Order: sequence, then C-alpha cells, then structure tokens
Amino acid sequence: MLWVNCMPHKCTKCGREYKDGSTEILKGCASCGGKRFLYVKETELNKDVLEEKSIDEIAQESREDVLEISEPETKEVEMYDRVETIRIVSPGTYELNLEKMAESDQRIVSVGKGGNYIIDLMSMAKDQPKKKKGKSR
Amino acid sequence: MRIFYQTYGTAKKKFSNFLNRFFKRKRTRIGIYGPPNSGKTTLANRIARDWTGDAVGPVSEIPHETRRARKKEDIIISGANGSTITMDIVDTPGVTTKIDYHEFLEYGMDKDEAIIRAREATEGVAEAMHWLREDIDGVIYMLDSTLDPFMQVNIMMIGIIESRRLPVIIVANKIDLPDAIPARIRSAFPQHPVVAVSGLEGRNVESLYETMLECFG
Repeated sequence: MLWVNCMPHKCTKCGREYKDGSTEILKGCASCGGKRFLYVKETELNKDVLEEKSIDEIAQESREDVLEISEPETKEVEMYDRVETIRIVSPGTYELNLEKMAESDQRIVSVGKGGNYIIDLMSMAKDQPKKKKGKSR
Repeated sequence: MRIFYQTYGTAKKKFSNFLNRFFKRKRTRIGIYGPPNSGKTTLANRIARDWTGDAVGPVSEIPHETRRARKKEDIIISGANGSTITMDIVDTPGVTTKIDYHEFLEYGMDKDEAIIRAREATEGVAEAMHWLREDIDGVIYMLDSTLDPFMQVNIMMIGIIESRRLPVIIVANKIDLPDAIPARIRSAFPQHPVVAVSGLEGRNVESLYETMLECFG
C-alpha cells in the first residue's frame, strides 16, 4: 500500500479529494463510504468540477485504474459448521449447537472466541446405546 | 421401617417392570419441546390434570423455569370415537441456541443466581436433545402464537425432528392473548398438523387430544 502515499485520489462516488493520499481512504470514503478511488494528477484535481464531468469519465480519459478498497471477509462461521457443542462466551453466557447435540452426547466445549476447546473424553468413550427393539415409530 | 419401604418400593418397581415386559404393554413417549416460555409445562400440567388429576411441574414467567426434563407416565387419553392411547409425557427444558444470564437479571434475580440458572438451563437443553435422540416416539412442538414462528431455533428444531422421522404436532399456544396470530404458525409449517390452543385456559385442548390420537396412536 506504499503507492497510496503522496498520491491524490478522488472518491468516484462523491468526488471528495484526498490530496495526501492518506491511508484514511483504506477505510472507505469518510463522506459517503465509497470504496472506489481514482488517482488524479495534482494539476487536474478540480477537472471534474470545472469541466462538469463525472469521475468515471475522467477515469476513462486518464486511463488510470480505479483503486477499489476490498475488505477482508469476516464471515461468521455458521453454527452447524462449528466443531463445538457448547461455546462458553463468558461465565453465564452460552451458545448451544443444537444440531451437534442432536447427533450424539459427545461434548466439545469451546471457551471464549480464541479457539480454546475442552473435549470431554468421557462423553466420547461411552458406548453407543443399543436400539430398542419393537419401538413404535 | 424406612428400609422396609425402600425395599418394598424397589421390589414393586421391579415387579411392575417385569409385568410391563411380560405383557409388552405398548406405551408411546411424547416429548413436549419448544423455545423457552412457550407454555410447555402449562400444557403438560393441563394434560396431566385432565387425564390423571395430577400435575407435572411449576410454571413461571421467567424463562428456563424447567431445567430438567420431567416425565409423567401412564397417561391414558381417550377420544370421542372410543380409541385410547397410553403415553408418557416428557416436559422438556426450553430449547434455544443462546443462553445469557443477563436476561434473568431483568426479573430481579441476583447475578450469582442468574449465572447458576444459565448453567442449569444449558445442561437442560443438552438433556432435552438427549431425550429427543434416544427416547422419544413423538413430539408436541409448542410455539407462542404472539411471536414470529420463523425464529432460527424453530426451523432448526423442526428440521431435526423431521430428520429423525418423528411424528410432530405443532401447538400454537397462548390464543387467549389479544395479539395471538395462530394462522402465522400454520403458514410457517404447512407440512405438519397445527392445533391452536390456550394451555392456560384449556381452550381447544380437546382438539389437541384428538390430533394426538390420530398422530401418535
């Protein structure tokens, strides 16, 4: 991201200038939240206003690539994809994985969100219960 | 004397189990499931009172009042056409995906008590799921008619029950409340019989008993 430094950019959505090319734009435009920015020469900073052109038109003329800020995906892992049956978020706060509980009595407990697990080996050592004969369904 | 009663009690139970095995008496075990505060214990008490004159357990407005599964055995339900079914009713703790002790503080509970309740409720959910897997022949799934039935926990639980191929009746409870919309539950789960009742007032429970005879008989 070094190339961002000292390079003036404009938000393609609202036209806000970032003269010093600060790392501020990496969080998106402070005015409109836009994620796409165009590098413009210092001398052409106000071209869009003076010539009543959109930033996209200026981008086509200058043939500069539009910088797009992409955020790392912080996708929440779905409950059924989790390995644990119970997550202890904090003392007295629990998240329960019902689908894992419905599968077996085996218990894997995770503590906090740091990836610490407590594995109840006793629950895993239990024999599978025998199916009842003639059970009405 | 106490030892005598204990020995007598054990012998009686063993003899009863022997007779049950010998005559292969057919009993259906029905689990009452649903999210906390949907009226599971109220309905279990209603069924037990109507058919045995007894009760199953205490009820409360604080969620997770039932934290251990409670069983009422040998309930014989008979229908209008004379058909009967003998069943054990299992009242289970409310099933949910998240338990937070802060919820209980709003009911005036102190922090330590609330944390213990949260832990017990977590164990209760695990126990309810154990029963569902091992020992249940049919399910009554309770829903509060005043709430949105499309909650993740309901969709998940109905899916689990369906995957285990257990017969299920969905009860749209609390129809005595003015903002109850049982039709919303019917449209949410069209694949299962839905009976709208008020467990508290006993409204329409006869219809539930008839549906139980049809589904679990």
